[in-house]
Amino acid sequence: MHSVTLYHWEPNANSGKPMLALMEKGVAFNSHYLDLLKFDQHQPEYLAINPQGTIPAMVHGERVLTESTAIMEYVDEAFPGPKLMPDDPRDRWRIRWWMKLMDQWLGPSFSMIGWSVFVGPAVRSRDQAELKAAVERIPLPERRVAWNKAISGNFGAEEMAESRRRVALGIRMLEEALGKWPWLASNEFSLADINGFNLAYALPLAQPTLSNDELTPNILRWLRTIYARPATRACWAMGRTSMVERVKILEQPHIAAGQIA
Amino acid sequence: MSLTLYHGEPNGPSLTVLAALFAKQLPADLRYIDLAHGARHSLACAHEPLVAMSIEGEGPVLVADGEAMTDSVFIACYLDDVGQGAALRPADPYDRWEAMKWCRQMIERTSPAAAYLGCRAHPPQADAAVLERIGSVDLRARWEEIAGGQFSEQKLEDSRSKIRQVAERIEARLGDREWLMGGYSLADLESYAWLAGMVPLVPDAFAERPRTRNWLARVKDSPPVAQALAQARTSEPAAYWSVGPEINRWG
Repeated sequence: MHSVTLYHWEPNANSGKPMLALMEKGVAFNSHYLDLLKFDQHQPEYLAINPQGTIPAMVHGERVLTESTAIMEYVDEAFPGPKLMPDDPRDRWRIRWWMKLMDQWLGPSFSMIGWSVFVGPAVRSRDQAELKAAVERIPLPERRVAWNKAISGNFGAEEMAESRRRVALGIRMLEEALGKWPWLASNEFSLADINGFNLAYALPLAQPTLSNDELTPNILRWLRTIYARPATRACWAMGRTSMVERVKILEQPHIAAGQIA
Repeated sequence: MSLTLYHGEPNGPSLTVLAALFAKQLPADLRYIDLAHGARHSLACAHEPLVAMSIEGEGPVLVADGEAMTDSVFIACYLDDVGQGAALRPADPYDRWEAMKWCRQMIERTSPAAAYLGCRAHPPQADAAVLERIGSVDLRARWEEIAGGQFSEQKLEDSRSKIRQVAERIEARLGDREWLMGGYSLADLESYAWLAGMVPLVPDAFAERPRTRNWLARVKDSPPVAQALAQARTSEPAAYWSVGPEINRWG
């Protein structure tokens, strides 16, 4: 069997999606950690693998795969192990619908907030000329804009308010969906749950007034159930930053409204 | 299985779904709705969360055994699963990854650009009563901008450049291939559906790209697309546009 190498950052957002999918399938892989905060993803060695400089990328044998959600579907189809997509075609449609909402609508709003409070402050104190040179090496223009905003902290009030609106609405939508289904949008654990956990694992800590055991019991049940899975534990143990340690909030049996304000 | 498809003129997302339906030889109750006048928001299912919050914008709705489905590429995947005949996605996992990644780029980068340029040239119209009914705040905001004629020069230029980029990718990808993924696939349907109307609007993107122009003609003549185009009620379906997905706002 061909070897699998995954180029990834933290078990969080896009990097965590193929990490957790591989671990749920029981596929052994070589982990190649790229430090996003040190711009490893824009160094020539990585651009030789993925010229767009986006994380994650997976190399299976000679083949390079990018786009985290598409990689997850590949992982599910190409390897033996437990199925991560249901058989029912309508379930599969619903799962893809939710993954798109999370990847393109809800995720970017979480990400904008995350970059303003974590990524920006983590790199801002570095040498400005060095940062400028690092940004100039970024291949995709929209990523250059994102990094410039994160470094300068120059987020507009309107765009931040819009991100907060989407996060609040997204939480209500997730709560409603998880009230209807045991897993996200179906009766089986699937790629949508892997995707959603990567987005929402720290939700009761990051958004305590919007998500807690009183306001969103279904989200909390869902997050704790996923966190209890051996693959999730092993995956989050690969994290190196305080950002992913936030997952430990899920070890608390009850998170009351106002507890972590 | 009972299928009802609410669709607009065969262009953009309605074209993808109609062609997939015909390719998979699925009988469906076809109901024409005027997406360019916001007619989707008057459907009985309009306020179901997976219809109201579809980030595709004004796309078709397929009601399958009572469940209302949106987002044309994923509806087409569903039709591919339940229908007859040749598969619309490759069977090999790597080839399938490539097809889905291609469609994802169309969804994320090309379709917002095409819809923005299409709406500028052929504006959709909705009155206050229709706008009031739109459940998604951000979709309503895009409608208000477009119906009010507020187009940003920067977004227009960015959109034209995205159309040039995708035409360049298609030209390179085709090489000596007949279809984008080797065999006729959802990638051809989805790409044609958004680009057919771009030829007159961004002519320079296609001028020096003979393989792309020949491929557009081949897709147009392929039986599923020809059958979808036969559903048109206007003489120029590729000039029929409604509000599309939003242009990437972050990263």
